[in-house]
Amino acid sequence: MLVYLGRRLNLLVITLFILCAGSFALAFLFPGDPLTNLSGLANPDEQLRQQLMHKYALDQGFFASLWQYFQLIFAGDWGISMRSGSSVFEEVTRTLPASIELSVYAMVLSLFIGLPLGIFSGLSHRKALDRGILSFSLIGYSVPVFWLALLMILVFALKLGVLPMSDRVSLLYDVPLNTGFVLLDILQSDMEHREAALQNAFAHLILPTLSLTVFTCSLIVRLTRRSVINVMDSDYIKAAYAKGMSRSEVVWQHGLKNALIPIMPQLVMQFTLLMTNAMIVEVIFSWPGIGEWMIQAIYQRDFPSIRGGMLAVSVVVVSFTISMDVLLKLLYPLSKRQLHAQV
Amino acid sequence: MKKNIALLLGVLPMVFALGACQDNRTRELAEQGLIYCSEGNPLSFNPQLDISGTTVDATSHQVYNRLLDFDSETGKVVPNLATSWLVSEDGLTYTFQLRKDVAFHSTAFFKPSRPFNADDVLFSINRWRLKDHPFHHVSGGSYPYFDSLGLNKVVVEVNKINGYRVEIKLSRPDSSFLATLATDFSVILSQEYAEQLLAAGTPELLDTQPVGTGPFQFVSFREDNHVRYHRNPDYWGEQQTQQQLIYDITPSSSMRLAKLITGECDVIAFPAQTELRIVEERGDLILDEKPGLNIGFWAFNTAKPPFNDARVRKALTMAVDKRTLIDAVYFDSAIAAKGLLPPTSWAFDDTRKETHYNPVMARQLLDEAGIGTGFTMDIWAMPVERAYNPNATKMAEIMQNYLQQVGVKARIVSYEWGTFRRLLAQGQHDSVLIGWTADSGDPDNFYRPLLSCSAIASGTNRANWCSEEYDDLIDQALAHTDENMRLTIYRQANDILEEQMPLFPIAHAYRFQAYRKEIKGLTINPFGGIQFAGVVKESR
Amino acid sequence: MPKSSFYEEEPFPSPVRQTWNEFRRNHIALLGLWCLAFFVLLSIFGPILSPYSALEQNTDAILLPPAWEPNGSTPFLFGTDSLGRDLLTRVVNGCRITFGASLILVLVAMLIGCAIGAFAGMSRGIRASVINHLLDAIMAIPTLLLAIIVVAILGTGLVNSMWAIALALVPQFVHQTRDVTRREFQKEYVTAVRLDGAGNTRIFFFSILPNMIEMLVVQATMALSIAILDITALGFLNLGAQSPSPELGAMLSDALETAYIAPWSIALPGAAIFLMVLSINLVGDGLRTALRNRLTQ
Repeated sequence: MLVYLGRRLNLLVITLFILCAGSFALAFLFPGDPLTNLSGLANPDEQLRQQLMHKYALDQGFFASLWQYFQLIFAGDWGISMRSGSSVFEEVTRTLPASIELSVYAMVLSLFIGLPLGIFSGLSHRKALDRGILSFSLIGYSVPVFWLALLMILVFALKLGVLPMSDRVSLLYDVPLNTGFVLLDILQSDMEHREAALQNAFAHLILPTLSLTVFTCSLIVRLTRRSVINVMDSDYIKAAYAKGMSRSEVVWQHGLKNALIPIMPQLVMQFTLLMTNAMIVEVIFSWPGIGEWMIQAIYQRDFPSIRGGMLAVSVVVVSFTISMDVLLKLLYPLSKRQLHAQV
Repeated sequence: MKKNIALLLGVLPMVFALGACQDNRTRELAEQGLIYCSEGNPLSFNPQLDISGTTVDATSHQVYNRLLDFDSETGKVVPNLATSWLVSEDGLTYTFQLRKDVAFHSTAFFKPSRPFNADDVLFSINRWRLKDHPFHHVSGGSYPYFDSLGLNKVVVEVNKINGYRVEIKLSRPDSSFLATLATDFSVILSQEYAEQLLAAGTPELLDTQPVGTGPFQFVSFREDNHVRYHRNPDYWGEQQTQQQLIYDITPSSSMRLAKLITGECDVIAFPAQTELRIVEERGDLILDEKPGLNIGFWAFNTAKPPFNDARVRKALTMAVDKRTLIDAVYFDSAIAAKGLLPPTSWAFDDTRKETHYNPVMARQLLDEAGIGTGFTMDIWAMPVERAYNPNATKMAEIMQNYLQQVGVKARIVSYEWGTFRRLLAQGQHDSVLIGWTADSGDPDNFYRPLLSCSAIASGTNRANWCSEEYDDLIDQALAHTDENMRLTIYRQANDILEEQMPLFPIAHAYRFQAYRKEIKGLTINPFGGIQFAGVVKESR
Repeated sequence: MPKSSFYEEEPFPSPVRQTWNEFRRNHIALLGLWCLAFFVLLSIFGPILSPYSALEQNTDAILLPPAWEPNGSTPFLFGTDSLGRDLLTRVVNGCRITFGASLILVLVAMLIGCAIGAFAGMSRGIRASVINHLLDAIMAIPTLLLAIIVVAILGTGLVNSMWAIALALVPQFVHQTRDVTRREFQKEYVTAVRLDGAGNTRIFFFSILPNMIEMLVVQATMALSIAILDITALGFLNLGAQSPSPELGAMLSDALETAYIAPWSIALPGAAIFLMVLSINLVGDGLRTALRNRLTQ
């Protein structure tokens, strides 16, 4: 076990190292002056240039400057956004929670709907219910997320007019920025009209969350269903039936647990995909998250922001997947890590 | 989709619950705030520094007042912070009597100790006028509107006669001077605030955390997101009913319309021409329309060969059919332009002929100028919608098509608005699709900022075109107060323009304003920026 | 002389034949295959048949609704967009660009992935672990983010976005190939070949690769559906194919401007993407089931 933990930790550290180094390399790969890409200060004059050279240790060879870069990253000095002139780190800490919030709600909702449906479907393998659920999951799995989001806006916001379509909460509510998670922020604040703001924030959450959920949920249904079918076909289930256990006993005592454990790591892997979709959905619903922020950054060639955003998102994803991996290993030591998802 | 249905079953009760829970308090709150969906970030909070419509809309009439104002119906100059004025016989000295008991905004970052007085007027004018003024070089030191009119040479003295009386002396008579003081750019800043900032070592805050005397005071601004104003409780004019005024920054026009429909915005900037019909058809939306004092044009960078050759410029204008542009981009809500001035201006020259679409002639002229087929040029299309050009990219695409027919390859170039304007000012373009909205009813407001030599440096002369003959003519016109006399002179200027064609006038567009029907008292300001003073939001 | 058989012989179909027989029994998958074939034919011949060009602007027919709507007109079966371009032509051309680009990029990703995977599968120790770590790092970056970075470095454009997506797809192929290679290398038939004196490369190409082809095809169909979704997503965000190009995602983003008055200009390109992905997924699912059934028989 310790060896396993050590290896995971090793993996985490090395991956983070690679990502950090990668983001450093980006400053040189992006068009323009690496110094500008690192600091965010366009056209520095000679004096400022010298200062920056010194700050980023660019004059002291590659490894020295890489080391210097790591130190700056850890100190929270990620450079300055070229569009707004404020610190990239601050902007990341403001936008990232919004994305995480959206992804987490979508993930939770997908699990709540996807797991039971997948299990039902797997248990009634080759019956009408299975076919139905499978077809719908196939459809949900094939719909382009951005198209679905647009259709939802057309129907629920524009035609029916029941739901808002942009931002996290109406601008009328001046929600103080605290944790960055809008629901938490509202709950923590002492603003007037708190309940109203909360309802408003909820209404804003519905459409983006739903459009994300459809895809993720379909994926979960398919994974769960396959796993349940495999398990229910296995010899020990037949043995359990042979012992004279009823179907429900078999399912509850042997089937589900054995079916769900192996797909857990795969579910964790879906988080990356979810983040990708979340970034697209953010753009459509003007959700002030990191995806929208980075897309704006690229439209405006704001390289320090792209560099910072890439680092932040990938670090979150890596830390999340590896820590979940470890957690699962601790809970179910027998489960084998599968590196890629079988859909 | 079964799952969706399952989801909906879960969600719908929530939605209804939300609807039902909208108690009176929420409703009240919604009524207390007005949300305006604007098209972009203001580049500054001081319109002296930036002439873009976005900046003006966000600041001029909300945060600030001017000495004078335009009557939105007649276009006549009316009192604002100046209650009355006197012009001397020779037209060189202007004396203004100032309004008393006008308070500056009292905000979290500034508490005024004295009301508005002559010192503030002196400060506001001297800032752009005097190069050695302590604030002249703060925030860049460029005052595009005043520079383009060459006003720092016209105004020679600004004197305080007493606390509420100011005298301005000019070097030459200028029949458009009063109108200039009433434009969106001649705002009055607080001298006390400026001094406080200077003492604190942060003078640039004057233009990013503004203080004025207007009906709304600044609370917060987040780039690409919103500007928040609260009403000014000590406003000297009529008190606002709404507590808040919020600018929701929404660059896409379809998104703005969508937000208007869902009620997330109360008023939107620049409804797209294609969408006007929807606004008209919906019972809960209102569309106002007025002929605008504006012009959309295609300017050639005459500083760059081969566009320094008038034949090339003329050929290119002949290669493009203006009618198609007006049909496809303005959807008939514009008038084809014959010259710089729109027909609503008194100096409009009725007798002038339009340029005609003539690809054969265009090719001939190009050949004469030695431009072979396969010549490649850039068309810069501005990334934002303006009344004078609601969709520059689309227009550029159509023109690309036309130019191909005469053997000219056009590349469409666009950047984010701020970058676009910066590069444009550096003169990196071959040609650009852009335009101009007048800030006062005076014809000089078209001729001078768009094509005079001094406007090159200030960045409003997109053609980088400079002709002494033309400059002389428009100077002469200003020295006369007789309209017929001026008209004759402007005719001569028009002849030069037609001969030289530094820019291709395309259209004068109608101005539209779309808002929800609960909004009352919103009018189209023909001279520039939107005004929210006196706008009321009724309960639904 | 015709070959004749003297004995009552049970004809034994080849593995591919067996898979096909399994596949054929699944009607929905077969439907998917027909649908896919239709898209392939459409991509190849559609643009030739269409009377318009995808960029041709009919300025007198702007924003016409589809022919089945009251205001529609038959010459423009799917209606026109805000520049008067025929939507049907654009959708057909868009299918060609989107489908073609995705196919190419999946092939490229497969080639690269297999090469690296085979290399990783046959190497041990430090080299393998370096490859593993690098792949894990790449997989941790969401596809879109990877694309944003590639686009930031190379600039926007269809080809650049193809590189970005190919890069994001490579790790899957690497993992698959590496695992299979490693597993097969333990097997006896490989040992037999090795005893014959074959080197690693020869073993891979002549013994292992034929055994993985089917699995690779399944993987490739999955990758293809992801590639289409990603390439259109990038087009939609203006990071991939740029505006006048009739790439389906870019068309959708163009249509946003008129979403409310011309919902068909959103509905049709989107539906084309959806059907294309759906048919590929159907075929992919069918293939996988067929393969599974064959192997378990």
